Amino acid sequence: MKLLVSELRKVIYVRSNWGLLVGAIFISAVGTAVTVPILAPVEGGAVFGVSLQETSGVDSVYANAVSGYIFAIILGILLMSGEFRHGTAVATFLTSPKRYRVVFAKLAVSALAAAALMIISAVAGFIAGWLALQTVDDAASPSENLFLNLILASALAGAVLGVIGLAIGTLIKNQLLAIVVTLVYLFIVDPLLLALFPDSAKFLPTGLITAMLNLDIDAPELGINTNNYLPPFEAAGFLVAFGVVFAGVAMFTSLRRDID
Amino acid sequence: MSAIVFKNLTKKYGKQYAVNDLAVEIETGKITGFLGPNGAGKSTSLRCLVGLAAPTDGSSTINGVPYQELENPLSQVGTVLDSRGFHRGLTGKQNLKVIAAAAGIDDARVDEVLEKVELSDAANKRVGKYSLGMKQRLSLAGALLGDPEILILDEPANGLDPVGIAWLRTFLKKLAEGGRTILISSHQLAEMQNTVDDVLIIHKGKLVASGTLSDITQGDTLEQAFLRLTGGAA
Ligand SMILES: Nc1ncnc2c1ncn2[C@@H]1O[C@H](COP(=O)(O)OP(=O)(O)OP(=O)(O)O)[C@@H](O)[C@H]1O
Ligand SMILES: [Mg+2]
Repeated sequence: MKLLVSELRKVIYVRSNWGLLVGAIFISAVGTAVTVPILAPVEGGAVFGVSLQETSGVDSVYANAVSGYIFAIILGILLMSGEFRHGTAVATFLTSPKRYRVVFAKLAVSALAAAALMIISAVAGFIAGWLALQTVDDAASPSENLFLNLILASALAGAVLGVIGLAIGTLIKNQLLAIVVTLVYLFIVDPLLLALFPDSAKFLPTGLITAMLNLDIDAPELGINTNNYLPPFEAAGFLVAFGVVFAGVAMFTSLRRDID
Repeated sequence: MSAIVFKNLTKKYGKQYAVNDLAVEIETGKITGFLGPNGAGKSTSLRCLVGLAAPTDGSSTINGVPYQELENPLSQVGTVLDSRGFHRGLTGKQNLKVIAAAAGIDDARVDEVLEKVELSDAANKRVGKYSLGMKQRLSLAGALLGDPEILILDEPANGLDPVGIAWLRTFLKKLAEGGRTILISSHQLAEMQNTVDDVLIIHKGKLVASGTLSDITQGDTLEQAFLRLTGGAA
C-alpha cells in the first residue's frame, strides 16, 4: 500500500508522463477526426466500401479513438526504466530492498495510469470525431453501445499495455533502447511476421492488441482479416500472459543485477 | 554489540577484486571513518552493505541481519551514496515525498529534514537546478527521513564548500551526540581526524588497519598514518 502511494506520486510528479498523455490525446483526436474526410463520400460513391451514412461507417470513425495505445506502452516502460535513467532506483531500492515488491507496486500503478491515459484519450477522440462528423451531411448515428464498449476496451487495453510496458522496461533497463526496441518490434517486425505467417498473426502482439481493441479490419489485399482474430478478452488474456512472462524473466535477470 | 558487521565480504568485477575478504565490525554509537585511496573499494563495500550490489562471497549485516531483511529499513539506516539518486525533473521536496511515501513516513517529516539541512528555501526548486552542495544536503535529508540510529555516508563532504564542510562537521557531531552510529567514508583526512572515534583503512580491496583513532595515528597525524599504511609517499 505504501509503495502504491509512492509509485503514484512518481507518476504524477514526473512531467514527461503528462507529455505522454498529451501525445495520446493528440494522436487519438487527430486520428479520429481525419478519418471523416478520408471516408467522406466522393461524388456520391463510397470509398473503401464504407459510408458515413451507415452506422458501421460512423462506428469505424470512432474506433480510432483508441489510437493512443502506443503511449500506454511507453508510459509503462518509463515507469521502470526511468528509475535507472535518473538514478532514483538507488533510493527506491534502499527504501524497499525486496525488489519484487517494487515491481508488483509498479505493475499495479502502471496498469492504473495507462488505463486512465487510454480512457482520457478515447474521450478526446470521441469529441474530435463528433466535431468532424458535423461537417458531413446526414451522417448516421453510431451504434447504441459503441461509446461504452470503446471506453471499456480502452480501460482494459490500457491496463494490459501498462503491464506489458512495465515488464519491457524492467527487462531492458536502458530507457531509450527499451522504447526503440518496442517501436521497431510493433511497427516493423510484427508487420513482417504478419506478412510471412498470416495464420499466426492473431497470436502476435499487434494482432492481440487489434483484437483486444475489437477493431474490425477487413483488407484482403493486405492479408488482414480481423474476423479470424481472437475474441477481445482472450486476446487480453494472452497479452497479460506476455506481460507476466516478461516481468517474471526480468525479476530473475535484469532486476537481480547490481544497481549503481 | 556491533551495529554493522562485514563477514569476509568479497566483491569481484570480472577477475578484479574490488573488495577482498573484508572482515570488520563497526561499533554501535561511534563515528567510524572509512578511509582508503581512490578505487580502494569503499563505495563497493557500502553498496554491498545496503543490498544494492550482491557480494561475490561473504556477507554483511546491520543490527544482526542483512539489509534486505530489515523491516522498514529507512527507520533503522540512513544512507548517502556517492551516486546520483534524485530525479532532476522533480523538486527536492517531491523527491523526498516519494521516498517518504514508500517508507510510510509522514509528509510533515519531509519539511522537518529539509529544515535540518537548511534547504527549506530551495525545497520547491527542481533538483536539476541544484548545486552539487545542495544535492549533498538533499541526500543527507533523505538519509535522515526515517530518523535512523545508523548512518552510512559515502563522501558526504564531496562538493561542499568550506562553509558547507564546517556545517557538516557540526551537523555530524550533533547527530553523534544522540548516540547514533555513523560510518563515513572521506578523503578529507584532517577533517576526519577532528570528527571520528574509530578508523578503518582499506587498500586495493583489503583491510589494512582498523582501531580507535589513537591506535591508528600512534601520535602522528591521520594523514601520515594513512600514507604509511597505504604505501603512499610520506
Ligand atoms: N560497477 C563496476 N564495474 C566494474 N568495476 C567496478 C564497478 N564499481 C567499482 N569498480 C571497481 O572496483 C574498484 C573499487 O571501486 P570503489 O568505487 O569501491 O572505490 P572507492 O574506494 O569508493 O574509490 P573512491 O575513493 O574513488 O570513491 C575500482 O577498481 C573500480 O574500478
Ligand atoms: Mg567511492
